Amino acid sequence: MMNLNELQHDALIEIFNIGSGRAASAMSGIVGEEVQMSVPALSFVSRAEAGTRLCDPGTKRICGISQHYEGAFKTEAILVFPEEQSLEIVRLMVGEALSMSELTEMEQEAMSEIGNIILNSCVGTLANIFGRELHGSLPSYHVGTGDEILSTSGATAEAVVLLLHIDFTLERHQIRGYVAFMLDVTAIHDLQVHVDEYLLRMVG
Amino acid sequence: MDKKRTALIVDDSRVSRLLVRQFFIERYPDWMILEAGSGEEAIEKASMVEPFLVLIDVNMPGMGGLAAAEMLRKMYPNAHISLLTANVQDPVRKQAELLGIDFLQKPFNEKRISDYVEKLV
Repeated sequence: MMNLNELQHDALIEIFNIGSGRAASAMSGIVGEEVQMSVPALSFVSRAEAGTRLCDPGTKRICGISQHYEGAFKTEAILVFPEEQSLEIVRLMVGEALSMSELTEMEQEAMSEIGNIILNSCVGTLANIFGRELHGSLPSYHVGTGDEILSTSGATAEAVVLLLHIDFTLERHQIRGYVAFMLDVTAIHDLQVHVDEYLLRMVG
Repeated sequence: MDKKRTALIVDDSRVSRLLVRQFFIERYPDWMILEAGSGEEAIEKASMVEPFLVLIDVNMPGMGGLAAAEMLRKMYPNAHISLLTANVQDPVRKQAELLGIDFLQKPFNEKRISDYVEKLV
């Protein structure tokens, strides 16, 4: 398992904190209310465990919008909401512009676009901090358990990943979700290199 | 009589096109609004009517927004073209600047687009 030293760990949390702040701002712009974000939590877990953590206890099915990024490092970024709240989020986005049947018909596409905006706000900020480029795939929308959603990426359940997990809350509408990033061992190494370069630029 | 202005909204997301279209219908009801779901479709639609304004997403299937914007810029040197994208990475902004293309950040924000369009009309 890879280890990050204390400075690398702190820098990584700080960098993802800045990125998630931009994601929160983007989400706030979509739903028209303040969005609270937690400090990013970082852990090394098996992919199977990451799947379990994607589901809150009591939440059977989740809606996940994922994008694969390559470039400075590879990562799978995923935005997760409880399935039953996704229609409400779409309604907050489009306002009164659509009828309920139109909303339902557009739900999947709208959620993909919401994922695209939020994940790219965060990832774009990370790329700018590192002074590198990250090229994203088009968003992919899935509904299921955490395991089912992660299994679409094709990695083995035993593979160790770095999981960065950021909770967000829309208090007024009682909506909770989170953004997660998963990196495999090679990607962790690449990320460490960029964190070291960042630290060198910042603190010499 | 003034020529009717045309705005071309290019985005693979229907919901994003809907939000932008709604804005133009309410604020500029005399404009003609065209939509395209890809860069290729944007070029085809633009060739039918010279657009006054093109708002174009970056990450789309097919040729992508930057390549399409570059072609549109060559086809219509006087058109106002802006990216409307969630891709906030510096190289994307720089490439747009080099092509003479503006940059608007998603999510859709009525004031942001309104401020931009008001400077053009």
